Amino acid sequence: MKFGNLVIAGLVTGSIYAVFAVCVSVWYRVSNILNLAVGDFAMCGALGVDNLVRVRNWPLPLAIITTLAVVGIFAFAYDRIVLRLAQDGPRRQEGIVITFFFTFALSFFIDGVAKMLFGSDVHAAPALWNGQSLTWASLNLPRAGLLVLGCALIVGGAFWFYIRFTLGGKAMEASGENSLGARIVGIDTRRYRMLIFIGTAVIAAIFGIVESPITGYTYLSGATISLTGFLAAAYGGFRKPGRALLAGLFIGILEALLGGYVSAEYGDTVMYAILAALVLIMPRQLGFESAVGG
Amino acid sequence: MNTLSSLGTSRTRSLMPTGLVLVVGAIIVGVWGDQYTGSVFILALCYSIVTAGMAVQIGFSQQIAFSQSVFMGVGAYGVAMLNTHYNMSVLEATPIVLVASAVAALILGSVVTRASGLALAVATLMLPLIAVGYVSSAGFLGGAVGAPLTGNLWPGSTPEAVAVGGGLVTVVFLAIAVFIASRILTSDIGLELFVLGVDERTAAAMGVRTPRRKLELFVLGCVFAALGGAAYAGTQQFVPETLVDPTAELALLIMLFIGGRRSIIGAVVGALIIQYLQGAWNWVSVNILVVEGLLLTVVLLVDPEGLAGIVNTGLAWLRDRLPEGRIPLALKIQPVIAGQNLSAGETAETAEAGEFALQPVTVSIPVLPDGAAETETRTPLLAVTDVGKEYGGLSVLDDITITLPSRGLFGLCGPNGAGKSTLLNVIGGSVPPSHGQVTLDGADITRLPPHERFYRGVSRTFQAVHLIGGRTVLDNVAVACLSSHQAGLATRVVRSGLAEAREKASQTLDDLGMGGMKNREVSSLTLESQRMVELARALAARPRLLLLDEPASGLSQDQRRRLAVLLATLGERTCVLLVEHDLELVAQVSERIFVLSAGRLVFDGGPEDFRASPVVNSLLVGL
Repeated sequence: MKFGNLVIAGLVTGSIYAVFAVCVSVWYRVSNILNLAVGDFAMCGALGVDNLVRVRNWPLPLAIITTLAVVGIFAFAYDRIVLRLAQDGPRRQEGIVITFFFTFALSFFIDGVAKMLFGSDVHAAPALWNGQSLTWASLNLPRAGLLVLGCALIVGGAFWFYIRFTLGGKAMEASGENSLGARIVGIDTRRYRMLIFIGTAVIAAIFGIVESPITGYTYLSGATISLTGFLAAAYGGFRKPGRALLAGLFIGILEALLGGYVSAEYGDTVMYAILAALVLIMPRQLGFESAVGG
Repeated sequence: MNTLSSLGTSRTRSLMPTGLVLVVGAIIVGVWGDQYTGSVFILALCYSIVTAGMAVQIGFSQQIAFSQSVFMGVGAYGVAMLNTHYNMSVLEATPIVLVASAVAALILGSVVTRASGLALAVATLMLPLIAVGYVSSAGFLGGAVGAPLTGNLWPGSTPEAVAVGGGLVTVVFLAIAVFIASRILTSDIGLELFVLGVDERTAAAMGVRTPRRKLELFVLGCVFAALGGAAYAGTQQFVPETLVDPTAELALLIMLFIGGRRSIIGAVVGALIIQYLQGAWNWVSVNILVVEGLLLTVVLLVDPEGLAGIVNTGLAWLRDRLPEGRIPLALKIQPVIAGQNLSAGETAETAEAGEFALQPVTVSIPVLPDGAAETETRTPLLAVTDVGKEYGGLSVLDDITITLPSRGLFGLCGPNGAGKSTLLNVIGGSVPPSHGQVTLDGADITRLPPHERFYRGVSRTFQAVHLIGGRTVLDNVAVACLSSHQAGLATRVVRSGLAEAREKASQTLDDLGMGGMKNREVSSLTLESQRMVELARALAARPRLLLLDEPASGLSQDQRRRLAVLLATLGERTCVLLVEHDLELVAQVSERIFVLSAGRLVFDGGPEDFRASPVVNSLLVGL
């Protein structure tokens, strides 16, 4: 049953990557900006709730609501101040490289502030679903893991439905495809960009809260998760949330299996080598050409 | 101001940053080398060596590869191992480490630089992740603890002498790096790299061997990083595991972008600023992430070219406000930066130069210079045989067969989506056909890449204007006159053929009556002028086969009339294949016209038949 348990552990880790990959690709689709700061919002959620509950003795629901509100307000302020200046101002910043570096800077800034507020130790938000792991046919199903997996499927499914079947989703897609064209036909592209940015930030924060009891977070954890989520989004061609979700789950399972069967020490190294090889062998199939073109 | 004198100043400019680094670096290390301030400065110099290479690879040529921290680690750990186990001094160990890094980079680069754009970035993003996993587990490298250097480091007896000596050697390392980078960027290959950075497809169409250049850039970035790492190990006497992790890579990128990604001196200054901020105040050192994040955001918002861009804008502002002749010497000095090939005098001249006024009748087209001009006209120059192109199940070109002689103007028309541009791309080499054959002068070129076709005389323009923004008209045309395609990157440290290329370009522009706009920046031109510059660029290569993709698109009636006269003249000298929607223009200038519809050739005949053809009328005119 080692294999089954490894797959379950991989699915849980993979669903974290998957959610971040979905957030990265959805926002890329609407704004043409690759956001490397998604994981940092997750870290803020986890450490924020932990700090309010553990240090300030706030009740858990209030701590969660406050943390999410703060993350949302920060994302709103960032969009109004920085993104508006960068994207809509007189010196509009062109090109995927420059806009990508704005999110680098954002990621560094959030991590730095988190270090100031929460210190450098490993912490986690309180578990939302307490109790021993569930077992089924000698498979070990941790409750927090099930929550994470469930949330991932809900988030992925909701975005898929939104983009595929709703008018708002189509408008959102148009904003990213051709911003000027979308504005000419009456789509408020800035509003979509802002809504999705705030939405993905809050979703990431919720995930941080749900997931942190499993792994524990430091102020630097966000960058690592972002990076892997970013890679998963890359395998989905950056524009396809559904493929990004699957890629995230795949990376999680691959990581767990390599760690379990190949080497606990070098498992990650082998995994990244495999992922790099995949990009080089089949860039077109993974959607890189279209991402560059778009 | 003439071209050659401006080149003289650009050569001096490539030496100026090197001199600046040597003098300022030696003074600071000499005076403060054994104190805390000096030690922070020396650490910053190590990072500067890395960012100087990044300015060439990432900033200038836009080849985003996240390999610097890894190779900085290779350099640092390499020196540490050779020093500790074989008691080699840093000066002995560094050449060995650099050669090993170059070989490793060559092997790794020949795999990863096959990818472009985001794929290259993502594939190389794995490198720091792999490296940090390996280093933290590899016992002989010290794992998470790090690797100290226990052998003799630099010539010198007292710790102070070792610190100052190490610092001075690092200054020399940086000066060498800045010299090499500046020489390359101000050379003809520098122009190639700039085009590669703006648009890989145009670069290939203009003869740039893009795969080779990308590999060379990767190796250059890695070797510079290894040199920085070697200096780091030698001066810090300890290599921490964190040197290779992704955060270190991001920090290097932040240094580059804050200083100015396309400026060598800017990249050096960026590294100095970040290291100094950390070293000078404890609060900043503890909260460096907040500071870096804020600083990068503010700098990018003010100017995406970083501090170098801000300084340049400031200098330009000052220059505009100072009366001519009273410009202080300091303001005439420009850092080595992309797109800034104008001196103050040229700017003044440029302001007076208006848009060109094409003299259509008097132009002397510099096409077909060589013996090829005398080739028998009836010998087919281009033969496209049974060429087809499918995307998935969709057929875009269906068994097209066309032959063209070595002179004459030939029109290619068809409704949108008929496959005109695809056929042009198949002939130009940017799209491989699914089947069929393309020959030029009887030689099969079907599988040749675009740059090889360019060498054989195939030159083209694009449907949307593909000029190199940020450079002058002269440089845009000079791109097609470069003789550096066969040369290696390293040769440009010694010599540059940019002057010859600009001279040829200047001649072409003069011949076309466009001499007045040489020093204008291309994005300041009207669409007509931009199209003419693109045409001039295609002509400057003295093509045997000229492929024009909708050159009249967006032009007014008057402008089209002028274009028609020019096209007719071109057709007398060389073979032109003209894709165009303006049927009257095509009928007026072409001796033979092909019409495509849904990927099939539905008409092939002279202009009179073209005008009368019911097929053409129903398809293109709607009659």
